[in-house]
Amino acid sequence: MLAAVLAFCSLIGSQKISLKAALVGEHASAVPNPDYEILVHIRIPRVILAAIVGAALAAAGATLQALLRNPLADPYILGISSGAGLGATLAVIAGLNWTLWGRSPIAVFAFAGAVGTVWLVWTIGRITGKFHVTGLLLAGVVVNAFFSAIIMFLISVARSQQLHTTMFWLMGNLGEEDFFALWAGGGCVLVGIVALYVLSPQLNAISFNPTDARSMGIRVERVQFLAFVVSAFITAVAVSLSGLIGFVGLVVPHSVRLLFGPDHRQLLPLSALFGAMFLVVADTVARVIVAPAQLPVGVVTAMVGGPFFLLLLVRYNRKVSWLR
Amino acid sequence: MSPSVQMQKVCFAYERSRPVLRDVSLTIPSGTFLAVIGPNGAGKSTLINLIAGLLMPQSGTVSIDGTAVRSYRPADLARKIALVRQEYVPVFGFSVAEMVLMARTAYYGPLGFEGKADRERAAKALEMTDTAQFTSRPLASLSAGERQRVFIARALAQDTPILLMDEPTTFLDIRHQVEVYDLLKTIQINESRTIIAITQDVNLAAQYCDQALLLRSASDTEATTQLSQGGSGLCQYRMGPAHEILNAEYIEEAFGVGVFAGQVGHGHFFLPLGRMAKDAISDSTPPAKEQA
Repeated sequence: MLAAVLAFCSLIGSQKISLKAALVGEHASAVPNPDYEILVHIRIPRVILAAIVGAALAAAGATLQALLRNPLADPYILGISSGAGLGATLAVIAGLNWTLWGRSPIAVFAFAGAVGTVWLVWTIGRITGKFHVTGLLLAGVVVNAFFSAIIMFLISVARSQQLHTTMFWLMGNLGEEDFFALWAGGGCVLVGIVALYVLSPQLNAISFNPTDARSMGIRVERVQFLAFVVSAFITAVAVSLSGLIGFVGLVVPHSVRLLFGPDHRQLLPLSALFGAMFLVVADTVARVIVAPAQLPVGVVTAMVGGPFFLLLLVRYNRKVSWLR
Repeated sequence: MSPSVQMQKVCFAYERSRPVLRDVSLTIPSGTFLAVIGPNGAGKSTLINLIAGLLMPQSGTVSIDGTAVRSYRPADLARKIALVRQEYVPVFGFSVAEMVLMARTAYYGPLGFEGKADRERAAKALEMTDTAQFTSRPLASLSAGERQRVFIARALAQDTPILLMDEPTTFLDIRHQVEVYDLLKTIQINESRTIIAITQDVNLAAQYCDQALLLRSASDTEATTQLSQGGSGLCQYRMGPAHEILNAEYIEEAFGVGVFAGQVGHGHFFLPLGRMAKDAISDSTPPAKEQA
């Protein structure tokens, strides 16, 4: 355990280091004054945003994999992505341009869409039985497919400028955000991750077997409900800040599990840290690789994360029982 | 001896029209090794789940150490009862040590980490089940028999006076079956724990258990009651010392299958004889072909 705590602390350090390295790389050849402007008003918020979103997605992914006891689960599996996407698309198509607490209508609609969809999927899952995993997954998949179809329909009738905005959002976009949104979002995500961490010993037993967990004195339904609500909430926050960034929530928890084992007391904080680092790096790559243009960060997460994950899988596959 | 588990007039049904357990009243004294035997669907697992508080009876009460199961807090009940089912491989690659420590979750401090006492309990449980050499191995890498011993170690680490076993030896070969029963018997004697085990193996039960509970399907007994027109009707179960309950007549009655009973030393053994079994054919009815 001590080793785990030490690793935990040193990783907090390494996150800051990678953050600094990314910043220095950005500013190797620039004059001081605009440099500062760029650094404080564009780069720092952006890097912080990437860290918040990455941590939220990775922690939510780890939690949902435990709750659904399914290694294929990710934060979007229960329909959050399509719900948020539908909200965002509607906002773009309707051409709304008011703001709510400094947030664009896209973000507000995306958040509402995400929360609404999760509620819908949860309700359907409940009707099919007491936290019946298969029912919940099927409800998620079907709702996802249905909402995606509506998004496709809306896109096919949209004008080209709207189309571009929507597509860019759907591919994940860590654009500029003001400090208030960052503080609020970061606060929500941090509280959420701490809450999930508190539940992590119980998540261990539940991910092993919910019935056994009950006979070990764990209030399984309550833990499942709390963990589900918290992970859905931080995912919705992340999505409304940045659009749909895929792959982080699936690949980061698995990589951490392959390297450090499935104990959620390590897995959750480490996933959050690695998720934050991964997305910061991926975003930096997205900004630099085709400069001055920018790639959607979702493209980079999949292109970098995919091969990296396969490499880990091949090297450490003996540790993983679900491959048998 | 003080009663450890008591059931009073317990009725349970998953669907209203089809009762699984009807009016079950029994007392399991502490420190006994009870075998629960009966045909598939008779309600053996239901009975175990009622004792473990995973199901609640529609009527009647189940109590442990004199207190009704429904009034226990989950964490307190987990200090009374541990449950072992058939072994399986979990979805994620937990190691033996991580799994056995999981049993201590109900005892963890507010920070969610195990203390020294928890690790000592887990280490002792691993030692008792002779699985200490697997500590850091992933569960998936063990054989089925080894894994079942680890599941028993987890139940021991939970440090409860009562152990419930739901068919702990079903897919094991005879050597591993015997190892599990030897282990359970040792635990019963050395640690004076109460063990309640569902089993399909009447012979192992006859050799190892002190008490036996023979359950019949509730729908069967209902049919028999109607046929016999008896006033009180037949009881769904028989319970008593294993050597009294496990006899050919009662087993035939419960399973509806012919049984040959023999004796070895103090215990009996039972050989089921179906219609086409060699020995059944040679001594009773001649085969169908000769009749024609």
